[in-house]
Amino acid sequence: MASIGLGIAMVLILIALQANTDFNQLLYSDKNQNETADFLVINKKVTNSMMGQPEKSVFSPTDIENVRKQPFVQAVGLITSSQFKVVAQAPGELHFATDMFFEAVPDSFIDVKEDDWKWNPGDRTIPIILPNDFLNLYNFGFSLSQNLPQISQETVKALPLQVVISNNLVSETYTGHIVGFSDRISSFLVPATFMNWANEKYAGTTTAATSRIVIKTADPSNPALVKFLDDNGYTANQDKLKFSKTRVIVQTIVSVIGFFGLILLLFALLVFSMFIQLVIASCRKEIQLLVTLGTAPRQLQRYLLKQFVPLYFIIGILSLVLVTILQYFAAGLLAKHDMVVNPLPGIGTIIGTVLILVLVYIVNVSTVRRYILQDQ
Amino acid sequence: MQIQLDHLLPVPLKDKILQRKSGIWNENIQFNPGSFVKIKAPSGTGKTTLVHYLYHIRYDYTGSVLIDGKPWSGYNRNETASLRQQKISVIFQDLRLFEQLTALENIELKRVMNSQPYCTVEKVQEMAARLNVTHVLNQSSKTLSYGERQRIAIIRALVQPFEWLFMDEPFSHLDEDNTSRAAALIAEECKTRNAGFILTDLDHDQHFDYDVLYQL
Repeated sequence: MASIGLGIAMVLILIALQANTDFNQLLYSDKNQNETADFLVINKKVTNSMMGQPEKSVFSPTDIENVRKQPFVQAVGLITSSQFKVVAQAPGELHFATDMFFEAVPDSFIDVKEDDWKWNPGDRTIPIILPNDFLNLYNFGFSLSQNLPQISQETVKALPLQVVISNNLVSETYTGHIVGFSDRISSFLVPATFMNWANEKYAGTTTAATSRIVIKTADPSNPALVKFLDDNGYTANQDKLKFSKTRVIVQTIVSVIGFFGLILLLFALLVFSMFIQLVIASCRKEIQLLVTLGTAPRQLQRYLLKQFVPLYFIIGILSLVLVTILQYFAAGLLAKHDMVVNPLPGIGTIIGTVLILVLVYIVNVSTVRRYILQDQ
Repeated sequence: MQIQLDHLLPVPLKDKILQRKSGIWNENIQFNPGSFVKIKAPSGTGKTTLVHYLYHIRYDYTGSVLIDGKPWSGYNRNETASLRQQKISVIFQDLRLFEQLTALENIELKRVMNSQPYCTVEKVQEMAARLNVTHVLNQSSKTLSYGERQRIAIIRALVQPFEWLFMDEPFSHLDEDNTSRAAALIAEECKTRNAGFILTDLDHDQHFDYDVLYQL
């Protein structure tokens, strides 16, 4: 009976350990990296009390430094926004004109590798990066309702946009060129060099207040990150964070499984200990006579242990084999969904097996030792 | 191996013994290695108690039993087990065989307790033949007569190396013929090992050429 308990306990604990390894692999290994998951755009929540006081919703240098210090933040980039009016027009018959705004991020955060992402003062062409979502919004929302043609990415890149930049005093026309599409940052991006120059020229400021920042993080669903954002009243693209709740739930479930496994292991150890005591007690007379005839306590212990220890090892190996089989199937299932985990058990699982077996062995040795010598 | 008794006095028999003179109790006794010792004792005077003290399975006494100059209390479990495997052997009055085992298994158990057995399988058969118990070797010891069991117990005591053999009424259920056979075997085995024995019994006897006689 105790063997079954030990077997179940081992399997549960090993599953918990293996699940942990799998999760780490799914989240952090190179094969599973997802581009959009790495970058988060953070802004301060606009609450009712803050409305009308735009200075309250910007990030102070202290705020930015605080974010940079967090262990889950690999890099911080300031998003600067345009301080001037922008109107964009599509050429030709498209009849598409709109007020817009620009934002700029440090080049290291741009996910569209473009050699065209350069701008020098004097250039009349501004490279622009559009968010993918915006094109989809146009193609599947706006254009259909307005009876306008849908546009492909290649066409958009070929279209020269007329960009009119103005402030209260002057108004100048540039040509805008869409050079790429981003999944990462939901904004209309221009090179930082252009932004700084234009801000100074049209708005008289060189450094604009930072209302949004972009951070590079290894794992946007990290519960610590979510807590940090909550504590400071920051928000980020919610859908990237929603995995966090799921993840916390899954982690809790796995921990509970592991915890139950531990409790079960304790009980199994207890039962084994009592079983040994029972065996020793039931042949106390024989053991006594053996000792009287000169059997060394060591010889007795070795004999008793030989009855039990092979059983433990068999259970341990069987549990490991079972978990290996489960892991193999899981890897197969996950692969169909493009998620990669190692089909073999992780090193943590193997170490767990060894540790449990060592613990079981120690408990047995000490029980045998204690009760064999009890009435000598 | 030296055995010395230093004012050994059993606690349960203390009063009875202090009222009379004993040859063993409360005396300073040295047993010379290799000597055949006979201790005569009427019933109730502590024969079995003495053997149990000598073999260190009872401890309710004052005074001490010294083995090679060290009292039994100074030996730990492992040392005691080693002594019982190599230096001292015993034939109990109540025999103490394993009932669940056959006669031969009882003997084998003691024979192979040592990783290098002192006695060969053939020698066991030889001894069994001498004591007329060959035909019961493979029977469960539960089914043997007391006399047969006694002879098995004797053989068991002789399959190990020893320097001292303790015997407590070893021939109580044997007829004259078997007694002389057993005594001859025991004397031989002791001489081969240059060992001595201490035998306790109710009366005087001529089974052995005793070196020393005591009255308990």
